Amino acid sequence: MSPAGAGPRRAVQAERVVEVATTLGLHARPAAAFADAAAGFRATVTVAKNGAEVDATSVLLLLTLDVRRGDRLVIRGRGDDAEEAVDRLATLLAAP
Amino acid sequence: MRTLRGIAAAPGTAVGRASVRRRQSLDLDQRRSPSGAVLSGAAIDAALDSVAADFEAAAGNAAGDAADILRAQAALARDRALRSAAVRRWRDGAAPARAVVEAAEEFATRLSGTGNAYLAARAPDLRHIGTAAARAVLGLAPEVPPPPPPGSVLVADDITPAEAAGLAPAAVVAVVTGSGGLTSHTAILARGLGIPAVMGVPHLLDAIGDGVLLAVDGDAGDVHVEPDDATTARLAAAGFARLAARERARTEAGLGPSATADGHCVEVAANIRGVDELQAALAEGAEGVGLLRTELLYIDRTAPPSESEQVAELAAMRELLGSRRLIVRTFDIGSDKAVPFLPARPEANPELGLRGIRLARQHPELIDTQLAAVAAAAADGPVGVMAPMVATVDEVDWFVERVGKAAAAHALEVGVMVEVPSAVLLAAEIAERVDFVSIGTNDLSQYLHGADRRNAALAALNDPFDPALLRAVELVGRAAAGRCWVGVCGEAAGRPAWAVIAVGLGVAELSMQAAQIVPVRAALRTVTLEECRALARRACRMTDAGAVRAAAEDLLRERSAR
Repeated sequence: MSPAGAGPRRAVQAERVVEVATTLGLHARPAAAFADAAAGFRATVTVAKNGAEVDATSVLLLLTLDVRRGDRLVIRGRGDDAEEAVDRLATLLAAP
Repeated sequence: MRTLRGIAAAPGTAVGRASVRRRQSLDLDQRRSPSGAVLSGAAIDAALDSVAADFEAAAGNAAGDAADILRAQAALARDRALRSAAVRRWRDGAAPARAVVEAAEEFATRLSGTGNAYLAARAPDLRHIGTAAARAVLGLAPEVPPPPPPGSVLVADDITPAEAAGLAPAAVVAVVTGSGGLTSHTAILARGLGIPAVMGVPHLLDAIGDGVLLAVDGDAGDVHVEPDDATTARLAAAGFARLAARERARTEAGLGPSATADGHCVEVAANIRGVDELQAALAEGAEGVGLLRTELLYIDRTAPPSESEQVAELAAMRELLGSRRLIVRTFDIGSDKAVPFLPARPEANPELGLRGIRLARQHPELIDTQLAAVAAAAADGPVGVMAPMVATVDEVDWFVERVGKAAAAHALEVGVMVEVPSAVLLAAEIAERVDFVSIGTNDLSQYLHGADRRNAALAALNDPFDPALLRAVELVGRAAAGRCWVGVCGEAAGRPAWAVIAVGLGVAELSMQAAQIVPVRAALRTVTLEECRALARRACRMTDAGAVRAAAEDLLRERSAR
């Protein structure tokens, strides 16, 4: 049963494809900022590059993607704030 | 001499003794804690938490790049992916310590495998986290190597980010590692600190033992083991040139006070005669004026300078000095620097004649006018005044009283020159009565040795490294400790090797010609206060000026090669 008043959690799914514009790609400091941002949402967020998909809240996994400027990444979110999450994270990568 | 080759990771050259770090090996397959409890997967989480907390605490005590690097390490230690990989390995049967080391290794390998040099350079960071966490799992305290002795070349297969963040130029003159490269944390921090580094030297720990003398060339990527004299001299000279250039750049950028390598501040001030020389001295980074010679105002004139004339002269200098101190020496005229308005009786021996404070006591109106002008200058910033040629406590009392009449209490710092041997022997009583004493090494040396300093045939007797002169400085330093501060305004203060000894004897201010300021500041920055003290103790036990000079220059050569 869903709690009265709070409304049911919607299983929202969202996805964005972004081209990485930050000059350093996703090196340690930008990656940490990205992972922190991802952890700030209730939605489960992943990042995929060339078919390899990783948990967006893990700096270490983000680093293993070796993201560089110009790479195309797919950001996927699942959860009630998924839209907001993928928008926010896409903005982080699009900022030059 | 043997030469090892590596990567030139941070520029500069240095000579020092190897301080070798070897890592403890761990029993990773241990399944019980020291107390006998079975180690579980929960130990992995707890260990990574404690490693992260250690990094966070260290980051809080660090600044700049070092703090960033430590925070990044903490974030990796808290990473969920690393934890789940370790726990997975433990579930598959590995002992917890081995599980966490292998999980870290797995990610290190993946980062190395990206082909991205930047990411590959993070691989050792991860391995360090694995090792640190394994120690924590096994109930071992974090590995805290003892700090290397000052002047060491740090030698290790690799250097942890925590160790790299703790690098201090005072202790470590160069870094040599078996692994790592240009983008490693150690290289980045070493470059930032100006510590030369050679990295990626194969079979390093087999080649170098603790305490071996090394000459490190961070420009070429060479490590000379037990270098010959020519190599040592070449690298040390290159190092000193670099150091002086850096000190000049610091001065131009207006950065930081003169200080020893461990941050003990020593005021490096200028000896000047007027505004022109002050401008030159400030351009060289003078931190004040330790000796304003006022004789120029008096000579070649038929009437003494008026108070307002002197006020104007001092005000011009005060304005240029801003918050820096101006120390005025009251006129040091006598029969050798005769002035037309004070007909002097000819003296057979003017250096030992009626001069300095002796003349002032015969013409109190002259010194009262000068002190009034000095007191007026003190309204615009810190000013000190000192009397030359003081030989008795009575003269000190007379001068202090005179200053007291001219200026409100504490408006001026009051001092006297120590240049007559009697003042050295009375230093404790003098120091009770004044704010500072300034040692005039030129006159003190000639009076100590009874040797005219203008007589070239007696130059050896007036060598500033002469142990008798140093023992006199030592006596003054001891007597003044806790009573007043001690400066030196003789020519010796401007010699880098002498200045280092003087600091070891308790001298707080060195005043010199403008051209000597940068070399002295650069030399001070290579040595710690304790090294200065040790050198001074040795120097004061020696009996030969040449040996003293050699000891001081050797220390600077060893230290200055950064």
